[in-house]
Amino acid sequence: MAKINEEGALWSIFGYLISGLLIWGGIGYLLDKWLMPDHHYFALGGLILGAGASIYLVWLRYGRN
Amino acid sequence: MALFQMEGNGGGFVPPSTADFNLPPVFGNNEFTTKPILLVFLSVILISAFFIISSRKASIVPGKLQFAGESIYGFVRDGLAKEIIGPEFMKFVPLLFSLFTFILTNNIFGIVPLLQFPTMSHVAFPYVLAMFPFLVFHWVGIRHHGLVKYLKGIAFMPGVPKFAYVLLTPIEIATYFITRPLTLSLRLFANMFAGHLLLLVFILGGDHLIRGVIGLKLVAPFSFVLAIVMTFFEFMVQCLQAYIFTLLTALYIGGALVDEH
Repeated sequence: MAKINEEGALWSIFGYLISGLLIWGGIGYLLDKWLMPDHHYFALGGLILGAGASIYLVWLRYGRN
Repeated sequence: MALFQMEGNGGGFVPPSTADFNLPPVFGNNEFTTKPILLVFLSVILISAFFIISSRKASIVPGKLQFAGESIYGFVRDGLAKEIIGPEFMKFVPLLFSLFTFILTNNIFGIVPLLQFPTMSHVAFPYVLAMFPFLVFHWVGIRHHGLVKYLKGIAFMPGVPKFAYVLLTPIEIATYFITRPLTLSLRLFANMFAGHLLLLVFILGGDHLIRGVIGLKLVAPFSFVLAIVMTFFEFMVQCLQAYIFTLLTALYIGGALVDEH
């Protein structure tokens, strides 16, 4: 039981990390396109924000108890 | 270095590419008779035949065939469905069992002599397969909690400071509606695609080497040996991917049924 759930948690965590990067990185990328097409500052910031937020989310879901 | 040089010009090694996955139709010009499609039909026939034969003369003391059939069924029912989904698991056993046997058979086609093509290395098949878990776990969740409560459970996790929702809600929604079906299908596809490509490299490479000069002929066996080793490795990956796909389907369904989010 515990082993299977750990395996499941592993894959779910992977999913959350990917989502965080995709969503916030994507929002940053679109902001870049809109506001300053020559730079990638928003995309970079978005990726970092997304990585941080998804790690926080993983901690909330799996690390708290 | 002449020992290892190819004879003449041209005749260079053409590495396998995505073009090797687009096979021509087997019968005439009918585009519905390509190898992957025929393999899908073959897999359905094989699976049905196997489980009908193995369960037809079911007895209390099982024969070899019945034992084999029942262990696969038992593995999915007790090892996956019951463990993960909980008391309501029996409803979902047919889905999980079909997914597991279907994916497993189609994956193993990748190393069965003469067939030797993993159906799932064409991305359309995993995409369609991933639609089933995706629709089922959302449907189950909506039936269990009601639409509003279910969506609220996904988007707003309790016990989080209010301002964090701005950051977390988009991630949660993306995870449930985009990342889950996408990773489910792409994981299966990429593993099968890469595995088939790997085998092609070693086998075609060995074939190319053995036609070369003497020095190349000498190293060709290493390529073939590696192809055999990789075939066993592929078998492991193929079973594992069928298992993971079913495991995650069960986990998603189980997650949709959990009461406190």
